[in-house]
Amino acid sequence: MQETAIGLVALGNGVPELVLKIIAAHIEGYLNLSTVQLKSLQLPASCLDERRLQYDAGKLLQYLEEQPFEGCSKIIGVLGGDLFVPIFTHVFGEARQGGGHALVSLHRLFHSEAGTPCPEPLAYERAAKVALHETCHLFDLLHCQDQDCLMHFSDDIPALDALPINFCPYCTQYINDACRRMGIAKKVLF
Amino acid sequence: MQEKLRIMVVDDEMIVRESFYHWFKKYGHEVETAADGQEALDKLEKTPFDLLFVDIKMPGMDGLELLDRVKALYPDTFVVIITAYGSIDSAVKAMKSGASEYLLKPFKPAHIDLVMEKISQQKTLTSKYQYLENRLGEMTRFDNIVGQSEPMQRVFDMIPEVAGTDASVLLTGETGTGKELVAKAIHAKSSRANYPFIAVNCGAMTESLLEDELFGHTQGAFTGAEKNRKGFFEVASGGTLFLDEIGDISMKMQVDLLRVLEDRQIKRLGSNQPIDVDFRLICATSRDLSALIRDGTFREDFYYRINVIGIDIAPLRERKEDIPLLARHFLDKYSQETTKQVDHLTADAEKVLCAYDWPGNVRELENAIERAVVLSKSRTLDSRDFSFLRPPEGDKTPARSLEEVEKRHIQAVLDECGGNISQAARILDINRSTLHKKINKYGLQKKDA
Repeated sequence: MQETAIGLVALGNGVPELVLKIIAAHIEGYLNLSTVQLKSLQLPASCLDERRLQYDAGKLLQYLEEQPFEGCSKIIGVLGGDLFVPIFTHVFGEARQGGGHALVSLHRLFHSEAGTPCPEPLAYERAAKVALHETCHLFDLLHCQDQDCLMHFSDDIPALDALPINFCPYCTQYINDACRRMGIAKKVLF
Repeated sequence: MQEKLRIMVVDDEMIVRESFYHWFKKYGHEVETAADGQEALDKLEKTPFDLLFVDIKMPGMDGLELLDRVKALYPDTFVVIITAYGSIDSAVKAMKSGASEYLLKPFKPAHIDLVMEKISQQKTLTSKYQYLENRLGEMTRFDNIVGQSEPMQRVFDMIPEVAGTDASVLLTGETGTGKELVAKAIHAKSSRANYPFIAVNCGAMTESLLEDELFGHTQGAFTGAEKNRKGFFEVASGGTLFLDEIGDISMKMQVDLLRVLEDRQIKRLGSNQPIDVDFRLICATSRDLSALIRDGTFREDFYYRINVIGIDIAPLRERKEDIPLLARHFLDKYSQETTKQVDHLTADAEKVLCAYDWPGNVRELENAIERAVVLSKSRTLDSRDFSFLRPPEGDKTPARSLEEVEKRHIQAVLDECGGNISQAARILDINRSTLHKKINKYGLQKKDA
């Protein structure tokens, strides 16, 4: 079994480098998977919905899927812009269930529900939570009913803040099994 | 907790269908999509869905028309109307036509979670309502199983053991012994306890009615089948199906049931679409199935399928020590129900009850106590309150011809008189030569005096 990296790629210019490092650290620390930071990509204009002024998650995922990323079995794209799927007002992130590509939007994470700026460490923690949640979708984990599990769905800032960075035993077991099934090696931490 | 649902998204925009599809997949739901109303109806005809998300504005058949048709054909299917062209008028129209919810695109993801939670609750309530409605007509007056005799203790010991498995159970015993109560107790102690317990009396239905009740039908399957209807196999999903008087079903029905037990799939009448079913089977009979197998009216392979675990419930006359206990139990029950202060049973009354053979078993005992309580003028029931019970007859006498009765009676009198012809003739009030003729005719034996 070869060690396989989760590739992290910044989409556009609005992604602080520190955010990618924090996301990488969380994926390595909580999921025990190795990560690699890839060269950033420009956000294609075709993915911007000019009426909504939001990026279409479906189109962006398709764009990512068309890019050649060598040596990474999973790719997580991080963007500063707002993200949507057509039926929803917004999403913090989006992933192909059991697939290879996911997105994390930072747009709503740096503000409180009232729109005031929030402390940066809190915003970084939110980004890490969304990234971990979407990464697990790539390993085919479903939304979890346990409100103390990171796979529990949240679509607003208070709900996201209320989630601990923690997986329930069921989801933990599932991701371990999924990695084994997919032949993805976990990073050796010691 | 949300249960896993079969969902269909009907929208002419592919991107909307895909968005819904991916979203519901994240919750583990089974999802299909249709680009227009006709495709949705075609899919519904093939397989049942719990929930439809329908766009109101579509080319051809619009969402409201599809809603009307779905509600007419599949009243159990929930429909949520979605649109980007929301108006109060269309919302009111949709809700009046039976839509469960109305969503305006785009909505917050949490909103769809709330809708799903609501639908899930509605579905649970609908299932419970259907279950209770089914049960209402079959409710028995038994509250629970009462008994301290050894045969009943054996049954009590078996219930939790059997409940822990999913194996088919065959309950045997005379009518009125409480087979259905034992079946209910097994269900109540099993992991299926939160799902329906459906009891079907196979002996009370014709073959075609039973087939329809068990398998359900699609619209137009036969004259009068105006709507699709779930059968008991589907209604019992996750729970227990209790088939009473299984010995009365036809050979064809035995074959059909055997196939269901093997495949765990059914097809509604008039449909070729298999539907997965998940139920635990408990059967009961008061007939001797081994004899039916020998007679060729009961299939041996079916017998072994339903009789993985067999529980025999003894008739009341074989566990007479239960009679006082049961009598007091029913006395409490009916003195409360009738608000009559009848709460004592004399020793004489108990003797009468214990001496009686109870061919109708516990059910007959319950009826007797109820009748006595209703008619009683005092707080205490004594032997006179049970004068309506026929005295015990010793062995139950099956219907016999007059000749057979005469033959047995003469033999009994001869035995009693030790073979003394004169004495027997006197008792029988016939002359000796007539008695001799009858002895010869019936080939009776004269015991030496």
